[in-house]
Formats: sequence, structure tokens, C-alpha cells
Amino acid sequence: MDKKPQKVVLPNQAPTDTSAEAMAEALRSSFIIIKIAMVFLVGVFLTSGIRIVSPQERAIVLRFGKSVGEGEKALRKPGLLWAFPYPIDEVVKIPITELQHVTSTIGWYAVTPEQEISGNEPPPGPTLNPAADGYLLTGDPEPNIVHVRVRLYYRVSDPVTYQFEFANASNVVLNALNNALVHAAAKFSVDDVLYRNVAGFKEEITRNVIEKLASYSVGVEVDHCEVLNAIPPRQVASAFHKVTMARETRTKLINEAQSYANQVISTAEAQAAIITNEAAIYKATMVKSLAGDAKRFLDLLPKYQANPQLFMEAQFLETIGRVLTNLQDKIFVSIRPDGKPREFRLLLNREPLKPKPQTSK
Amino acid sequence: MAIVTTFGRVTKSVGAGLHFQLPWPIQKIYKLDKRIQIFEDKFSEDLTADNNNLLTQVYLGWRISDPTEFFPRFPSASTTAAERMLEGIVRSVKSGVVGKYNLADFVNADPAQLKLTQIEEEIKKGVQTQLELNKCGIEVVFLGIKKMGLPESVTQAVFERMSSERNVLSSRYQYEGEAEAQKIRASAERKAAEILAEAEARAKEIRAEGEAEAAQILPIFQQNPELAVFLLRLDALQQALKEKATLILDQRTPPFDLLGSFPTNNIPK
Repeated sequence: MDKKPQKVVLPNQAPTDTSAEAMAEALRSSFIIIKIAMVFLVGVFLTSGIRIVSPQERAIVLRFGKSVGEGEKALRKPGLLWAFPYPIDEVVKIPITELQHVTSTIGWYAVTPEQEISGNEPPPGPTLNPAADGYLLTGDPEPNIVHVRVRLYYRVSDPVTYQFEFANASNVVLNALNNALVHAAAKFSVDDVLYRNVAGFKEEITRNVIEKLASYSVGVEVDHCEVLNAIPPRQVASAFHKVTMARETRTKLINEAQSYANQVISTAEAQAAIITNEAAIYKATMVKSLAGDAKRFLDLLPKYQANPQLFMEAQFLETIGRVLTNLQDKIFVSIRPDGKPREFRLLLNREPLKPKPQTSK
Repeated sequence: MAIVTTFGRVTKSVGAGLHFQLPWPIQKIYKLDKRIQIFEDKFSEDLTADNNNLLTQVYLGWRISDPTEFFPRFPSASTTAAERMLEGIVRSVKSGVVGKYNLADFVNADPAQLKLTQIEEEIKKGVQTQLELNKCGIEVVFLGIKKMGLPESVTQAVFERMSSERNVLSSRYQYEGEAEAQKIRASAERKAAEILAEAEARAKEIRAEGEAEAAQILPIFQQNPELAVFLLRLDALQQALKEKATLILDQRTPPFDLLGSFPTNNIPK
């Protein structure tokens, strides 16, 4: 009984049941699909917020346009970073450690980089057109014109300021550099810029630009400044070249004179040494020989005193004997009986070693 | 930052972040750039106090200091409109300031007389005053001279002058080189002469010393001048006959008097 009505009902319910079951089945599976889709979407949502900050940059998260954290705290270090997708969060990346550079835009005549590389610079005209050609005015009593090109290397030290305080911070850096150049040139004479104080000029530019950037608080740190070129206007290049040549000639003349001077002085010094040495030798030999004479004198004095006549004769004969042995020619002439000197002729030529005395005895 | 207008009237300005706004057409917002922007004027020519034509170009960093003033002044808060205004103001202020200074104030190798920084400061102040008078809501943060130049026709004259200056310089170098070389040579010769003269003097001194020493020895000979003279004569004789010499003797010279004393060798009288 129990089962009968059930059996009766069942067929009635069976179609609804199966359809409901199918419905439920369908719903269940679609729920699963939706769930998977949801999980997937959430996953996509979450992963889409992941950003990578590379070592050369820092990032700032802006939530509804306002930076999260203030100053240094706002800076996100390199690594993974998670933020809500736009429009809730916005991630701004700022290059930091890499060295950036700008090149001055004033101070050089109109030339395109291509022309410069190919060496096909347009020849200088008689004038400089202020609209196209750049140049600097120097601080000479009558301002002179020079062309200078400098490059500034810098790093971003305060990315927040650099990014959010300035619409175009690199343009500020460039302007500061140009300004530094104008100021430096205005303070230097053309000769200082080009020859005499090149280092000082560069230092002045660097100091100026560092001061300017500090006063503007752009958030950059100057690494160094490089003067790429500094030349006189091409219109007067030959005149400048002539001066350089003249200066070199001057140096050459002076160097030559200097070496001549060195030579003259060292010759004189050598001569002086010879003179004093000779004097010293004279002194030494004279004193020594005199001392020797004195010694001999003292030695001989007693003998002399014993018998002066005999001593003198003996000494004389001893000496003349010694002298005569060394002599080449000895001529003995006997006295004429009348006591007059005998006349004879000598051929004063050494060649015929035998003299021909016209002697007759 | 942004400006909120209610029925077209500026009601408030807000900073960065999330803010509430009544729907249009009641309230409307306009976003403004609060960052410092750079404005550069034209490279323009002015007359300095000493009647030199000087071209200058300045850059200035400006920012919106008061959005409620700035916004109504410039349609739709347009920065180009603001820059047009800046241009006019900078133009007139710059012209006035440049006209107060001499050319030597702009460029001068003497740092004490160089007034470039002062000039920049004066232009900046002048522009700031004008902006305040006009209630622009703009603040000048910094101002500097970007470029200075001379009119094109003047550059040619400058080149001519530079050329002639250079020519003077090169002939001066030439002259200087010759003169300097002469000087060096002359002074070297003088010095050499001095050295030689000194050496001569020193040599004389040394000789005198030697003679003084010798003079101390001489008294020894005083004991017997006869012997001394004899010895000196002997030495002189020996010295004279050291070299190649031919001696002609007669029999009066000892020891040849021996020869003469023999009767055989004598011509009989």
C-alpha cells in the first residue's frame, strides 16, 4: 500500500524529478564553471597587480592619484610589487642609479649631428645668426664670441621630487646647465676659456650648475661635467691659429736661448775650474819646490860653510857634467890667443844633425 | 590638484587623493598641474643702458600657487594661455631691466663687476610683482638667463675686432719671444763672464796664497844668500839645458879649462 501510491505518484513526479534533477545538475556544473572562472578571474586580478621593479629603478604607488607614503617611504625598492589595478592604484617607475646626461644646447653654431659625423660642416658665413647659431659672450672688456659645448652627467637622487615636483625635470637640468655656461663665459676672458684657464672654466661651470640645481631642488646629483669642445669662432680661426703659432715660436726661441745659456754657463764653469785648478797647481808646485829647495839648502849649508870655494866648484862641475851628458850637441871652441871672441857660423837647422862649425884651431 | 566648480563658480580646490563630487551639472572638476613648469621666452633684443643691442633669452620655472585665482583667469585652466601671459610680462620686465644695466654688467671678467645674477634676480622679482598685480595665481620659482647674444650685424664687427686683437697678440708674442731670447742669451753671457772673472780672482788669490807660503820659506835662504843664489843658478842652468840644446863652450868653462890648460892644445903665442 505504501508503495502503491508512491508508485502512482512516482510516474507523475518522475518527469518533474528528472527535469529538476537535470536542472540541478546543470546548475551545479555551471556553478563549478562559474567558480572556476571566478577563481581564475580573481587570480588574474591578483596577478595583474604584480609589478617588477628592476635594480636601476624605484617605484611609487599612487592610490587614487595620491602617493602612498611620504618622501623616502613612498619609494619601493627593487623586487616584486603588488598594487591594485587602475584606477585604484597607479605605479610610477623612476630610473634612479643610471647615469643620465644632457648636452648644452646653446654655444654651438648651427650644425646637424649628421653633418658633424660626415665632416661636411657648412662653411662659416660672415656672421652668426642668433636664431640658428649658438655662441657665448666672454667677459673681455669688449665681449668676444666663443663656441663651447658641455655635457653634464647626473643621477636622480630624489626620485619623488624629480618626478612629482617638475613637469619636465630633465629640461630644468638642461636649462641650469645652459645658464651655468652663460654665467661662466661671462666671467672669463676668451683666452682663459680657450687656453689659459681651461680647467678653471670647467670648474666654474660645474660649480654653477651644482649651485643652480641645488637651489632649484630638482632632486638630482651632479656626477661630473665635461667640456666637449671650446673653440674660437670659425670666422676668426686663422687669426687664432696665428697666435698659437706665434706662441709656439716664442716658446721655441726661448727654449733655444735657454739651451744656449746653459751651454755658455757650463762652458764658463768648466773654464773657471781649469783656471782655479791651474792656480792651485801653481801654488802647490811652487810651494813644494821651494820647500824642496829650502831643504836642499839646509842640507848643503854645512858643507858649504866648511869650504865655500871647494863646495861651489864641486857642485858646479857635478852639474855641468850631468848636463853635458844629456846634451845633443856640444861644441868646444878654444879661445883665440888674442882673447877676442872667435867668429863662427851655425846653421840653425836641426835637420843635418851634424853642425858645420867653421872652426879651425 | 583640482578645482571644483559648483554651478560654474569656483567653490574649492582639492589636492591628490579620493574626493567626492556632486554629479554634473551641479559640480564640475578641472584638474590642474601643480608641478613646476618651464617657460622659455623668445631670444629677443633689447637696448642696454650704454646703447648696446643685446639679445637675451630667459627660462623660468613657474607653478600654480593659487588655483582659485589661476582658474578663473585662464579659460579652462589652460597652461598655454598662462604662458602667453607670462611671455608678455617677461618681455616687458626684461626689456626694462636690461635697459638699466650696461653691457659690462652682463659680461665682465672681474667677478666683482659682473651683475648677471643680480639682473636675473631683478627680472624674476619684476615678473613676480606683475603676476601678483594681475592676480594670476602663479608663482615664479626660479628664473635664469639661458642665452645671450649680439645682433647678427654686430657679430661681423666683433669678428673683425677679434681678428685685429689676435694680430696684435701674435706680433706681441713674436716680439716677446725674440726679446726674451735676447735677454736670456745676454744674461747667460754676463753670468759666464762673471764666473770667469770670479775664477780669475780666485786663481789670483790662490797664487797669492802660494806666494805668501813661499815667502815664509824664503827667510831660510837668508842664512846664506850666496849659497842660495848659487844653487838657484845651478838649477837654472840645469833647467835651461834639459831640452835639446847645443852648447858652445870655450876653455874658460870648467871642466874644459882642463883642455885649455894643456900646452899641446894651445895655439902657441
